Amino acid sequence: MIVGGCDVGSLTSKAVVMKDGKVLGAMLIKSKARPGESAEEVMNGACAAAGVERREIMFCVGTGYGRDRIAFVNDTVSEIACHGRGARWMVPTARTIIDIGGQDCKAIRLDAEGTVTKFVTNDKCASGTGRFLEVMARLLGVGLDELGELSVRSKNPVTLANACTVWAQADVIQFLNNGVPLEDIAAGINNAMAGRMAVLVNNLGIENDVCMTGGVAKNRGVLAAIEKILGLRLRAIRRHDPQLAGALGAALIAMDKTAGGVK
Amino acid sequence: MRRALREYNFDWMLYSTYDAASKLMAGTEKEYARALRYIPYFSGMIDAVLATGEPGLSFVKTCAEYLKNIVTARERGRKVAITSFCFSPVIFYAMDITPVCLEVMSVFLTFTYRRGSAEFLDFCNEAGFTETSCSSQRGSLGAYLAGIGVDIDMVVTDTPGVCDTNANAFAFAAEWLDRPFFQLDMPPLLKGERYDRYHRDDYRALVAFLEAQTGTKLRAERLAAVLDELRKQDGLIAELEEMGRLVPSPLPPAFTLMNYAARFLFAGMKPCTDMLQSMVNAARENAARGVSGLSGGAERLRGFFCYIDHYTYNMRMWRMAEDLGVCLQGNILSRNWSIDAPHVRENHMEDSAYSIDMTDLDSMIDSVAIMNSRMPMIKSIRGPFDAPDMWLEDTLSLARMYSADFVVYSGTPGCRNTWGMLKPFARETEKAGFPTHIMYSDAFDDRVQSWDATRARFEEFLRVRRLLV
Amino acid sequence: MNARLIEAAETLNNEYVRRWKEDGGRVVGYTCSYAPDEVFHAAGILPYRIRGYGAQETTIGDTYFGPFICSLPKCMLQLAGGGAFDFLDGVVIVPGCDSMRRLDDCWRKAGQDMAGIVPPFFFHFAVPHKFADYTVNWFEGEIRRLIEAVERHFDVRITVEALRAAIAAYNRGRALLEELELMRRLPEPPIAGAEALSVVIAGAAMPRDAYNDLLEECILELRAETRRLQGRRRLMLVGSASDDTALVRFLEGDRALVVADNLCFGARFHNDRVDDGPLDPVRALAERYLRRSDCPRMYGDYRRRLEILTDTIQSASVEGVILQNIRFCDLHGAENGLFERDLEARGIPCMRFEREYGPLVETGRLKMRLDAFLERIDGKRRTA
Repeated sequence: MIVGGCDVGSLTSKAVVMKDGKVLGAMLIKSKARPGESAEEVMNGACAAAGVERREIMFCVGTGYGRDRIAFVNDTVSEIACHGRGARWMVPTARTIIDIGGQDCKAIRLDAEGTVTKFVTNDKCASGTGRFLEVMARLLGVGLDELGELSVRSKNPVTLANACTVWAQADVIQFLNNGVPLEDIAAGINNAMAGRMAVLVNNLGIENDVCMTGGVAKNRGVLAAIEKILGLRLRAIRRHDPQLAGALGAALIAMDKTAGGVK
Repeated sequence: MRRALREYNFDWMLYSTYDAASKLMAGTEKEYARALRYIPYFSGMIDAVLATGEPGLSFVKTCAEYLKNIVTARERGRKVAITSFCFSPVIFYAMDITPVCLEVMSVFLTFTYRRGSAEFLDFCNEAGFTETSCSSQRGSLGAYLAGIGVDIDMVVTDTPGVCDTNANAFAFAAEWLDRPFFQLDMPPLLKGERYDRYHRDDYRALVAFLEAQTGTKLRAERLAAVLDELRKQDGLIAELEEMGRLVPSPLPPAFTLMNYAARFLFAGMKPCTDMLQSMVNAARENAARGVSGLSGGAERLRGFFCYIDHYTYNMRMWRMAEDLGVCLQGNILSRNWSIDAPHVRENHMEDSAYSIDMTDLDSMIDSVAIMNSRMPMIKSIRGPFDAPDMWLEDTLSLARMYSADFVVYSGTPGCRNTWGMLKPFARETEKAGFPTHIMYSDAFDDRVQSWDATRARFEEFLRVRRLLV
Repeated sequence: MNARLIEAAETLNNEYVRRWKEDGGRVVGYTCSYAPDEVFHAAGILPYRIRGYGAQETTIGDTYFGPFICSLPKCMLQLAGGGAFDFLDGVVIVPGCDSMRRLDDCWRKAGQDMAGIVPPFFFHFAVPHKFADYTVNWFEGEIRRLIEAVERHFDVRITVEALRAAIAAYNRGRALLEELELMRRLPEPPIAGAEALSVVIAGAAMPRDAYNDLLEECILELRAETRRLQGRRRLMLVGSASDDTALVRFLEGDRALVVADNLCFGARFHNDRVDDGPLDPVRALAERYLRRSDCPRMYGDYRRRLEILTDTIQSASVEGVILQNIRFCDLHGAENGLFERDLEARGIPCMRFEREYGPLVETGRLKMRLDAFLERIDGKRRTA
């Protein structure tokens, strides 16, 4: 049976098409002003990648900010549950999941069965989110993906405002004016980000194994900084793109629902 | 908090750092210079403090001794109390209780490590405490919550009615650590029979609490010994404050810190007296020669910090003052409200001050109660800022008396009580003729605003207001 | 639902206030539930709880308050600056917390820039932070100071008899509110949390006798109500001051019900009585208001508050607790951290979040968390 998952986020929208527990196709696009449009486009893309027709999808679950505006889904489920489910599929031993998305970050704890037992998310400010990194990368004049590479070379990371994106920007400008090497600023940015995240995860309470999903999971510098602060190795995600965890989870929940399961 | 950090005992870490620092001068100059290379984020502070000579050395030794008292408290059979900088420790010393002043411990940390107190601050949040709370307590409280400091027996504070975030940190700590809690509560006004009685009743309840915790009665001769020492200290502080009025001021910038640190650590105890005495001696020498206490020798400006200082690593705030030729005229913490203090006499504020009556145990307890209600912040941040005896009156009278060229606010974003009215307050100080600069940084956490940015903005203020041309 | 109560709760200068003023009555506003309404009632003055309800921005608030301050007093000042409280003849500032304490300073200073926004009677009313013999003595003195100031300024006499009558009137209101609370806790309640909050808020915005009558009417109507709210997840709302029915409505949606709360605009300050025996009425007021330690401003009394919560959770069959605090409200924020630790350990799901006081904006993220929280409660139901 073919099922779908569609995650319409604030910055990106993702869709996954699965059949019998295997991913047939997936797609990620920048979100549009209207969630409904994003959903249509990304789902069409995923179907095309999977080589299936939209009508072949027997059950589709929507998640993300825009989930209530998706016309074609059969059901909606919260992002927390979807990210938990998706991460568990990618790392079957995961009990703690760190997810850093475009405008929020969450830490989720699962029990042995994969049910969400507790979660925490950031409040309000964009600091500690993907958006924070985007703003900072632009200030440094480097690409988002370069930020991680740069920071690895740092010998003397700066201490950066981590509570507020606007103040952190002011700090970065000050450091640039003072001629601080880019890699030290980049490392400061990643440390600030990791520091915010570590507070959230420690507040939740860590249980091994820990993995990280969301777009920021692709940033080597942030990963390394989080590992250092938490004093543990994050389980690497290889089974699929960590940014698709929410959509994957949605598709997996769709599969459960059609099988009459409750997960 | 990194797991690795939890492997270190917090108090021992600080004690060994300051103890080693206190011995740095024992070697040759070459050895000293070599040693500083190994402590890049502490060397600036050590250098700045030791540059003041005997007083500086005495300061570092006093810090080491305070920390030694903490690490050895258990083996000496002492009860340990977490407390606040604005709570006079005399009562603890009179009752053989070892105080652990959270704000002081935070400063030890921020002065010493580049990372500052970041991870201890964060640990409090991990434990469920708010990140918007004041960093001055959180900076070290995290260590005690994490269980890597000395075992705490009780939590004692006197900030309810003065500062919520401070009082709340202590209440949270007591609950988290499951330890007995006592608060001295402060009404919004300072003077008058009704207020005096409240302060005294409350303080007696404190004494009863401490007696219950220690299982011993407060003895008159012990309190008398401590208060006797305190009176000597008040005399020395008065002399220092009087010399601070000279132009140029003979007091080195670091003296502002050392003045209040001595009292927060050891009010009523010999190390505090010795340290103040050595500061007075050094200042007298400068005064006799008519020279500025600034290392550059030239006093270009006189600045009054109306709240607290900035405690970033390496004492960079004090070193900046040295660089710019700014004579620091103290802050809210460095003022003493003894009846003999020069600003009390000058402004005829005797009824706002305290005096020590040694007649008997009762009169001594009453005296300490009133003295405690005049501690920094406790005295002047309790009521509306423009009420008599409160922040504006104190700031203006002190800034005038010390011929300040400008006023600076440095604090923490956790400070509801000052940020709640800082804008109208600064408007009033400006109106009174003092260019006023507000630092938006956190005195204990460079992650709110880096010191580089804080300094750049301060220098910009001096330029824009044509104070430094 | 009684439309007059809703109107009183949702309009600052509501019909009752307008009529009171038209009849030559005077109104005194206060900022915190530790202010004894009975004193004003006894003086023939309408006590009115100042709120920030309806403020759409904080431009005036931000002019005087610093950036790291709770948005509730900022919204209050915003409304005051815009003339929304021009009907007040007096203001009593209660330093319930530091942010609220500084409303005193900021309001007065704003009054220097905006003529007429500071009423002629402006009183700073202190409340100790703990309950002990000597703190009650002091607080009794503070109430007497307030009484004297009111008598002097408004040229009235506050007699012992009038105070006793006021205590009786307010106790009657408290008894009725308690009845309302019990109805909320029924397995299938006839009233939603948002409506109940309106009923409670109205009490602080209209004359007490009229309120008591309306409340009685409302309770009779609810008893007769055949509509029952079924199958909802049962929530309890705890934390910083909230008089925003829109927030409660949002949390309830069509899947949940706030069946109990511990809020200073909510039930927190109504589930006890002022001693109406032979005790001196001022002493009785001091005892009652200070003993009510349901606010974390009363330091060192957390355990008792935890018990209040767990009792309520049990009696109202609460399935999940929502712990919210306004940003920079560290008193509730930190206490919420402790509640979360202790309630979760007792198997009660908690959701903790930080918000701004004021218009309900940016609900997307909150909805995501709420949905996940309700899913968690569902999961618990399934495994029960």
